[in-house]
Amino acid sequence: MPFAGIGQTLRVAVAANAQFVSEKLAKAFKQKTGIEAQLIVSSSGKLTTQIEQGAPFDVFLSADMKYPQELYQKKLTTAAPKIYAYGTLVIWSKANGLSGNNLSGLSNVAIKKIAIANPKLAPYGTAAEEAMQKTHTFATLKPKLVYGESIAQVNQYLIAGAVDAAFTAKSVVLDSAQKGVGRWTEVDSKLYHPIAQGVVVLKASQGQNLAAANQFCKFMFSVQAKQIFKAYGYR
Amino acid sequence: MLYQPLWLTLQLALITTGCLLVIGIPIAAWLAQSKFKLKPAVEAMVSLPLVLPPSVLGFYLLLAFSPASGFGKFLNDVLGIRLVFSFTGLVISSIIYSLPFMVHPVQAGLEALPGSLREASQTLGKSSWQTFIHVLLPNIKPALFTGVVLSFAHTLGEFGLVLMIGGNIPGITKVASIAIYDEVESLNFKAAHIYAGILLAMSFCILVAVYVVNKHLTRNRLTA
Repeated sequence: MPFAGIGQTLRVAVAANAQFVSEKLAKAFKQKTGIEAQLIVSSSGKLTTQIEQGAPFDVFLSADMKYPQELYQKKLTTAAPKIYAYGTLVIWSKANGLSGNNLSGLSNVAIKKIAIANPKLAPYGTAAEEAMQKTHTFATLKPKLVYGESIAQVNQYLIAGAVDAAFTAKSVVLDSAQKGVGRWTEVDSKLYHPIAQGVVVLKASQGQNLAAANQFCKFMFSVQAKQIFKAYGYR
Repeated sequence: MLYQPLWLTLQLALITTGCLLVIGIPIAAWLAQSKFKLKPAVEAMVSLPLVLPPSVLGFYLLLAFSPASGFGKFLNDVLGIRLVFSFTGLVISSIIYSLPFMVHPVQAGLEALPGSLREASQTLGKSSWQTFIHVLLPNIKPALFTGVVLSFAHTLGEFGLVLMIGGNIPGITKVASIAIYDEVESLNFKAAHIYAGILLAMSFCILVAVYVVNKHLTRNRLTA
């Protein structure tokens, strides 16, 4: 089909950290309702800009509350954002020499480059920077940092071997496709503000799609969805 | 759904090339014979997409096409057209993006024609329009072919621009180059390889065709 519109498809803008869990959610949602949810994955910041510029998305799953709140204030959403999950930050590495949930392992000389999502666009990047600052490792680690535009690019850098370690979301390393790729360790949750992730239905969504968008949001808070989130390391 | 981005890319490249034939040839013809004082400025405008990073073009077009801007608001409110995140928007930006690839070869082809050709045709009573269609254009076939093929190929490879104004929407703006980016970000390197391999093979074949056909056409013209 060159053009959409045949059959009902819901356009869900998804922050990169949630892309794998969203695929699972979309599959379960389709089984339940027959509605196909198309995922558009990017950083929360970029998706927010696109929504502000009139992107035809129905639902937005952000990696934080700030961006959906901003859209709500600009009257681009049907209601205030709701928290659908809390994310967990991990350090992922293919190199040896990482241990424990502190960040001191990253100072190891074997770790030459560390990928982090751009803190200006991606909440996981902000959390990583916060954790480094709290542990007073930011100054030492800064020369090693490489910024990806989203968690997705950070993952890609690590998988391709372009960096030795990466700050990413636990949901990424728990996805079946990434199992066994390198090692990962959770960053102590006391070191960063909880990554509360918000969902909003967008005003751009109309008619049949609006009903489906509301249905999708409701589904995200169902027992079935909670189990899926849990399996992907969300709290 | 692997074929969808490729099919979309093909549609985009075909439509853009078609539009460029209509827009580019008159511009090239005008540039080839004009003695207008500001011609260098017009030539520079046409050539800008060659040197400008696609993100610069994309940024300006995003602002221009957005319903929040004056022009975009006019299109949206008065004509009901929204160009950001739409296929039409991609076509319009591709036309701008690939314009020099059509205009340059055609302009060069026309400029290389001996002036006697036009004069002879006009002496024989042909209007300048008839002269252009029946005499000049058939004599620059290699240039026309190069223009068509390069515009097509250049549009196939469009990335930065689509990334800025496209929004990565399956079936509407998710062209092959964006699909590659998307698959790599989703860590689907296998799917990315398929798209990338097909684009690489297509681009190579297109360029080989340009060189083969041009050699053939040029030789024919010299021996005729």
